[in-house]
Amino acid sequence: MKNNHKKNIIVHDIRGQICPSCLLFTLREVNEQRDAIKNKNARLIIKTDNRDATSTIPETLKSMGYDHNVTKKDGYYTIEIMAKEK
Amino acid sequence: MTNSILLLISANFILGTAAGIIMHRSDYCVAGIFRDYFLFRQTLMLKTLMLLIAASMVLFELSRRLELLPHYPFPILGSPSLANIAGGIIFGIGMVLAGGCVVGTLYKMGSGSIISATALVGLIIGSAFYAEMHSWWQSIARSTAFLKGQVTLPQVFECDPLLLIVPIVLVAAILFAHWTKQGTMTRHSSAEGYLQPWKAALYLSFIGAISYILVGMPLGITTAYAKIAAYLEVLIIPMHVTENTFFSAVPLDYHNSLFELQLQGGAGPHFDAIAFIQFPVIAGIIAGAFLSATLLREFKIYYKVPIRQYLSALIGGIILALGSRMTPGCNIWHMFGGLPILAMQSIFFLIGIFPGTCIGTFILRRYVLTVR
Repeated sequence: MKNNHKKNIIVHDIRGQICPSCLLFTLREVNEQRDAIKNKNARLIIKTDNRDATSTIPETLKSMGYDHNVTKKDGYYTIEIMAKEK
Repeated sequence: MTNSILLLISANFILGTAAGIIMHRSDYCVAGIFRDYFLFRQTLMLKTLMLLIAASMVLFELSRRLELLPHYPFPILGSPSLANIAGGIIFGIGMVLAGGCVVGTLYKMGSGSIISATALVGLIIGSAFYAEMHSWWQSIARSTAFLKGQVTLPQVFECDPLLLIVPIVLVAAILFAHWTKQGTMTRHSSAEGYLQPWKAALYLSFIGAISYILVGMPLGITTAYAKIAAYLEVLIIPMHVTENTFFSAVPLDYHNSLFELQLQGGAGPHFDAIAFIQFPVIAGIIAGAFLSATLLREFKIYYKVPIRQYLSALIGGIILALGSRMTPGCNIWHMFGGLPILAMQSIFFLIGIFPGTCIGTFILRRYVLTVR
């Protein structure tokens, strides 16, 4: 797994991984970076090719109080996770 | 090859292709349905599976009443035994570790998943393993069998299937109406070309009914995995394959009046009815998912995956194959086909699936998805 730490954007590429790795991995990362995300010091970007993850991850993030943005790229999806705007 | 066989092959390929497209668009993963209930308490997909079973119940019963079903119950189904529960438990463990069931593996592979391709290798290896323990397992299955000669619940109660199906469907309809009102039967997805799972469930129930009417039974594919194993084994140890009781058995033997064919087949390395019913379905599901993924420009192969996940898929595939042979039958065979006619084997398989999935989920979380 290659993590690119650039400024306050943390990118995780989990394309091709076994289900349900996407949601479990994202939950763990969000919890680990909770303070940084909530304080708007960091944003998480998850790259996934799992179509189901574009439903399950946003649903879970919403219930946890985060904002998200899903974008389709070149054959995969990116899910950007950030603090909720008040 | 006769025109009837070609027609049968074509029909199965078309049904498989349709199933592959639908499953890819909605990501209709039956392994995920059970696994995500235990992992995240997600119930939406479980509700759609109930919808699929209830809709199939209605369609199968309607077809039976209209005398469209050539056989009722359909071929291969037998009396229940404790082997169905044990098989279900093993199947449940396997499908979680493999990242998909026997059908989920195909549509995911068709959309480019290397993990699922690894699971497919495991499925073939596991089928070969089962062939070596078939005689022993059969004796256990026979000794734990009960209600001999009776296949479905209506047969046990000696009543018209309608008497049991009507109350079940009515309760299900009330529940679906309630969930629809709550808004818990649909989900938002940002995936391009997304098909709502409840629609997928209804489409898959239609595919199952068409297969039952045309082929004489709903979709099923696991014996074909064993057949691939036999074709490979016969290249190395031909005498062993010839003498093996599992590969010599012919569990499928029925007359299809629509195509005017006597259909016989088994897991042996022969181009028999199993080959021209199940191979086209397998090819169709892979082709359908490939087509769907390509049209969405989502077909990509990512191989940089932790080695643990490859091992999990391989071992899961082996366990999955063992479970499907020990039951016998897969989740699609039992849930999309057997449960709608209240087959007891399928009910016992379902009972086994829950603890199996729970164990599989524990292993996956504890040993597979722990390392970054």
